[in-house]
Amino acid sequence: MAVDSPGEFLLGKVDEVARWAQSSSVWPLTMGLACCAIEMMTATAPEYDMARLGSEVFRASPRQADLMIVSGRLAQKMAPIIKRLYDQMADPKWVISMGACASSGGVFDNYAIVQGVDTVIPVDVYMPGCPPTPDGLLYAVNLIQQQIRQGGRGGIFARA
Amino acid sequence: MSVDSPIPAAAPGPPPSMSMDVVERDHNRMVLSIGPQHPSTHGVLQVLTEIDGEVITRAEPEIGYLHTGIEKSAENLFWTQASTVIERMDYLSPLSNALCYILGVEKLLGVTDLVPERAQQVRVLLCELSRIASHCVWLGTGGIDLGALSGFFYAFDLRERILDLNELSGGARMHPNYLRIGGLRDDLPAGFLDRLDALIAMYKPRMNELRNLLQSNPILQDRMIDVGIISADDAIAWGLTGPCLRASGVAYDVRKTFPYSGYENYDFDVVTRTEGDAYARFLVRLDEMDQSMRIIEQVRKNLVGGPIMADDTKFTPPPKETIAVSMEALIHHFKYVSESFRVPPGDVYSAVEGPRGELGYYIVSNGDNRPWRVRTRPPSMYNLQILKQIAVGELIADMVVMIGSLDPVFGEVDR
Amino acid sequence: MPSSQTPPAGSTALDPTAVRPAIDDARIIRTTPQAVRDELLALKRDGYAMLSDIGGVDYLEREPRFDVVYHLLKFALNGAQAARVRVLCGVPGADPVVPTVSDVWPSADWAEREIYDLFGVSFSGHPDLRRIQLPVEWEGHPLRKDYPLRGPARDRTPRPSFALKSNVAAGTPASGKTAAALQRQIAAARGQTLPPDPAPHAAEKAQAGNTPGAVATAGAATPQELGAEPNAARGRQLPKDGSK
Repeated sequence: MAVDSPGEFLLGKVDEVARWAQSSSVWPLTMGLACCAIEMMTATAPEYDMARLGSEVFRASPRQADLMIVSGRLAQKMAPIIKRLYDQMADPKWVISMGACASSGGVFDNYAIVQGVDTVIPVDVYMPGCPPTPDGLLYAVNLIQQQIRQGGRGGIFARA
Repeated sequence: MSVDSPIPAAAPGPPPSMSMDVVERDHNRMVLSIGPQHPSTHGVLQVLTEIDGEVITRAEPEIGYLHTGIEKSAENLFWTQASTVIERMDYLSPLSNALCYILGVEKLLGVTDLVPERAQQVRVLLCELSRIASHCVWLGTGGIDLGALSGFFYAFDLRERILDLNELSGGARMHPNYLRIGGLRDDLPAGFLDRLDALIAMYKPRMNELRNLLQSNPILQDRMIDVGIISADDAIAWGLTGPCLRASGVAYDVRKTFPYSGYENYDFDVVTRTEGDAYARFLVRLDEMDQSMRIIEQVRKNLVGGPIMADDTKFTPPPKETIAVSMEALIHHFKYVSESFRVPPGDVYSAVEGPRGELGYYIVSNGDNRPWRVRTRPPSMYNLQILKQIAVGELIADMVVMIGSLDPVFGEVDR
Repeated sequence: MPSSQTPPAGSTALDPTAVRPAIDDARIIRTTPQAVRDELLALKRDGYAMLSDIGGVDYLEREPRFDVVYHLLKFALNGAQAARVRVLCGVPGADPVVPTVSDVWPSADWAEREIYDLFGVSFSGHPDLRRIQLPVEWEGHPLRKDYPLRGPARDRTPRPSFALKSNVAAGTPASGKTAAALQRQIAAARGQTLPPDPAPHAAEKAQAGNTPGAVATAGAATPQELGAEPNAARGRQLPKDGSK
């Protein structure tokens, strides 16, 4: 990659290191809504063990979390709360929409369910499944890690 | 939010659904909103708590944050399709929901006697496995709420074996949709019984480990004994069922009192205790897991061969193998899938003993190929209501203990 | 997914609770909003200690429109037999009000709020009657039959439906010819003879009436039985996988 000055090269290296650090320690928010939340918990259980990807702890406070895994169906009453939690998370932040209900409303095409959380918050990775298996969630976190390393949203120079 | 814009914008102040007026403000007291996003509320529950120092003076649970409109969806789906959405109510033990609904529809059809014995036994087997799996989640998350993180891993590993069996028989870990009106979707696959035997063999050592870790743990005992005491009269007045009722001394278990699906043939005890506190509910659920394993062992020993679907083409699909060789079977299958069958008009109340209590469905049919109404009797909702009463006078730190001991599942509370 | 979103047409009975099959799951009592409280208190004195559930049903074209269904439970204590009773209270659609029982049984509190929320039936005397499942500003009562499934906003864009293109209207009763032909084929494969077919319109009426056991049923045949007849003619063999 052509660089104009040694300064730019160094900044580029710092950015890479920062992205590697961020992608290796993605801490999710405990945002469990319904059945997918149980599979999210199972993904931290011994058989699937999300901790080895860096998600060692799930932070209860949105201020301390990087990743919001919206796991489960989003009801109309809960929608403003999810938006508020997303706003409370500090940048850089990412969102996985886990399961069919979070991605598109799922089996519930009715008055009560928001047809996709991406109508309320921006989503980085969509996961199909009802519920998806925990190794699917591991793959989704892998995709988030790839997104972090490749830049775009997030990175050391994050945009809001 | 008006019905014209169903997607609400974020409000600048507190979310509009939070009614602070229900909890009085007194300058000495603080109003604390626990939830709906909280690691220990077991789902989306908001408890508007008024506290005086650390003592709770008033607690008002707010539900509805997971209202899915499942009952309205069920009215617009065929009889066979409705069990898919109904399974997602109590998502920790989906097979109990499906079984209760299917028993109700079979009563309306008048074909309860046509369900073959093997199908009934497998239904009992899977329901008891679901009960153990649900109690594993309760045990693991209950431990986490109190800081006992290791128990979670052991409990969820036990649950994995059960989900493996679900996946093997039904195809999916959590919502297998394996039960059908008239029997089962398909026979147990090869390897199921071997895995079941392996599970039965590993259960006792694993439960011993969990009991050693949690039951005799002095910190757990200190936090749970004499917390959230429910008297028997209160339990009956508030409509509690399941382990919450039995821990207060009332020996009511739907499997014994109104047996279904062959439960009268199995030998098991109804576990009761009299103290009515959180520790009593804890012990009742642990002992219930052992009783469930007892039933599973009996089913395994006495499992008969034979068909797994009722012998009546009016409400069952033709066997899959016949579709390739018979045009009439193919047409019948097509009509079954695209139009479903009709259920005679009438209403029925069907109840099973779910892990949380008496799960019931009041099903109304008007003769059509879709249910007219499926009303759920949600045990978690009635169990959770009593929080208003038992939280008063306890410490704020006991709130998570009480919620955990009532074991609500919000898919069922909010539907 | 079902092929249409409109409520089913041509239902056989507008009051299913009056057309009950012989299911003995509970004692049924029908009452009115004026008498329901006395009825329930009498049952409580009679030993039905637990109000297990209160549910609502909307019958739309029936008068009274709504049913508020109280499920009570008597435990097997002191020599009594455990029993269930179901009290059906017909509530008119014009001004749906029922007296509350939340002072008698605290379990009624949330159940009555939920019926108010989803059906619009008010409970007079309830200490805190507000919406429970839906946000407080929600308009409409979703479980009513005239409330669209997807909500009024999204109902304007109906999902594409294959039934609109088919020549069979959704909800048309099955003619019964295919089931009858299948039964004949199964019987032939087993070497039995069926009684002669009833006249076509009688078969259709029996199907539409749909009482169980009205049409002669035959069990599903094994693939070997069914396969023997058509495939023998073609000389093909079924795979011997030993299933069933």
